[in-house]
Amino acid sequence: MNSVDGEENNSRRAFLRSSGGWMTAAWVAAHWPSIAEAARHADHMTTAVEPAGFEYFDAADAADVEAVSSQIVPSGATAGARDVHAIYFIDRALATFLASWEADFRPQMKGFQAKFRAENPTVGAFAKLGSDAQIAYLKTVDGSRFFETVRMLTILGMFTSPKYGGNFRGSGWKMMGFVDQHAFTPPFGYYDREYTGFVPYPGTKQS
Amino acid sequence: MNARRFKPNETVDFVVVGSGAAGGVMARELSQAGFTVLVFEQGPRFSPADFEHDELKYFFLSGITVDPAISPQTFRKNSVDVAKPTSDGQPALYARLVGGSSNHFTANYWRFHESDFNERSILGSIPGTGFADWPITYHELEPYYTKVEWEVGVSGLAHASPFDPPRTKPYPMPPLPVKSSGVLLERGARKLGLHPFPAPMAIASQPFRDRPGCVHCGFCMGFGCEAQAKSSALYTMIPEAEATGLCEVRAESYVYRVATNAAGRASGVHYFDRDKREHFQKARAVVLSANGAETARLLLNSTSPRFAQGLANSSGLVGKYLMFNQGAAAHAVFEHELNEYKSVQVTRLLHDFYESDPKRGFYGGGGIDGRIDPQPAIWAMTTGGDLPRWGADLKARIEGFPRSMVAAGHSTSLAVESNSVSLDPTLKDAWGIPAIRVTYKDHPDDLAFARFLQDRQVEIMQAAGALKVWRDRVGEQDWGVHLLGTCRMGNDPATSVVDKYHRTHDVRNLFLCDGSSFVTSGRGQPTMTIQALAFRAADHIGQFAKRNEI
Repeated sequence: MNSVDGEENNSRRAFLRSSGGWMTAAWVAAHWPSIAEAARHADHMTTAVEPAGFEYFDAADAADVEAVSSQIVPSGATAGARDVHAIYFIDRALATFLASWEADFRPQMKGFQAKFRAENPTVGAFAKLGSDAQIAYLKTVDGSRFFETVRMLTILGMFTSPKYGGNFRGSGWKMMGFVDQHAFTPPFGYYDREYTGFVPYPGTKQS
Repeated sequence: MNARRFKPNETVDFVVVGSGAAGGVMARELSQAGFTVLVFEQGPRFSPADFEHDELKYFFLSGITVDPAISPQTFRKNSVDVAKPTSDGQPALYARLVGGSSNHFTANYWRFHESDFNERSILGSIPGTGFADWPITYHELEPYYTKVEWEVGVSGLAHASPFDPPRTKPYPMPPLPVKSSGVLLERGARKLGLHPFPAPMAIASQPFRDRPGCVHCGFCMGFGCEAQAKSSALYTMIPEAEATGLCEVRAESYVYRVATNAAGRASGVHYFDRDKREHFQKARAVVLSANGAETARLLLNSTSPRFAQGLANSSGLVGKYLMFNQGAAAHAVFEHELNEYKSVQVTRLLHDFYESDPKRGFYGGGGIDGRIDPQPAIWAMTTGGDLPRWGADLKARIEGFPRSMVAAGHSTSLAVESNSVSLDPTLKDAWGIPAIRVTYKDHPDDLAFARFLQDRQVEIMQAAGALKVWRDRVGEQDWGVHLLGTCRMGNDPATSVVDKYHRTHDVRNLFLCDGSSFVTSGRGQPTMTIQALAFRAADHIGQFAKRNEI
């Protein structure tokens, strides 16, 4: 079951089957409740559901933050921040498990929006800009606290567990080539596939 | 399980504070020697099923590590500055649960080399530092290194490195299967005439002492092991201690003060239970194995008229000489997939630059291994050099994750007296106890050697055929996971806190054994030596107790 993506390989059943080569039957029997429970954690990507709505953002704020987020990791041939629902992760983070960031984040966001409006009075909101113009504008705020916070939250929303609201059905992991699987067997990659063994150095005697 | 539960007013032979790498060994060895042992642990006890593959929880929400929301710490670079809480993590980071940091460590288990113990005699003094020899030799510790390998469980290939120190037995388990990062490190290093070898790891490569072999899930560094293949104290020393029927591990019990009596002897410990109720536990002797930050903090918080500057602190050195270890990364991308997120972090390393060479013009030594930064989000977040930070270029870099690896350098930190753990004068934790204040500034030689080693890391990756190589910045550290040197070992009570048997010079029945006992830092992988010291200390402490010499 090397490097094969898909729900089957994340299941407890697959994990048990894969364990036959390295665990004794007695050990598995004795520890099965723990193993089964641990393997359950690998199933979380299949339990992610469509988000119901926003808890922290209003629609306009969500649109602006998602627009920034979508330029940090853009969509294309593979998933970007918008595709993995990073905005729902950011929303939920600021409402719950990273609520301690909220007091800093809100003035950063409002400052970004106010600055944008002042510099672009006919556009009104960052989210309404075209993509190239968004990129050009973000270059002027790259390094600001707001941009850095959204950057960090976007990456967390793309690549941490789907149970936090982002990385929808593991699409962030799939984009980067990470296989969410509970166990692997060698060979693990291209270069160890044909490794012929450790060659001792002259004068050493391995044991 | 046969675990003991002591009655509230019962006096135990030994209280051990801390259930991690050292505390676990202490508990097992002293209870197997026939003594009653009560182990206190601040954090909860996890079953294997409690550990999750949850990067956000473990790296960003203090899932099993010391939580700034309840145990805040402060940091400053020098003693003139006012220390402040750090915004991106704890300055003294450790895991807070039964088994301590042996749950979330990477499990690199190098032995120290002979020179680590007498480097001051070999190289001479280094101005501005407390560079000193240890009061013990490698050869005194060797039987206990062997004991760690066989009792705790280490996989490896003995004598594979021409720089290996002498050993009396091979490893009990073969090395873990090589990964592509190991193959590439070996390929590049051998081309350059270096000597990479299979990494010794405290992870079972096959079933061992009723534990299974590794399932290669890849969640070692920063995570607990639900498969029980990682040889953490939670799965090795602690259950064996409890099986004696003489040991209780009291979780969620936070010791904040060591009590002393009129004779100047330790009489027990004050602690908070999980509901923050205060208790006192009587003991005939006390062993602190709370880690290099918390052991020092506990002593400094245990003042009395007799011990006005902190318990066991007549030298004034409790908390001083903190060492984090230095090191930096060389990142590389290759043509084909390595899939470094699978299996243990490290399978090959080299010790060609272990010894300090005066011809370089600065002190320092280290090792280089092949690996990747922990998990998807942290890897994607990594910045530095000319790494893209956002946009299509960042996405292209992220998509290169399966083809990427790191040549990681691990190196020395010199003992500098001003680098320290002390009590913050104003900040308190959720229990009202003064918070840890870390003061730290890397010695210039530590930075110089880390840069030297990083140059070698880059050369190895280039020789291995990397398409692109870039460097992390070598810089001054404001946090560490290796918490070393804060109650240093020595023969002279004026210049050390504990003697060669880990007994405090000032209090006859108080012993300290963890990273705080270190005199020098080693080359970046301290836990093997922490456990060897603990086996040796427990051996001697048990003998002292049986001879009524405590």
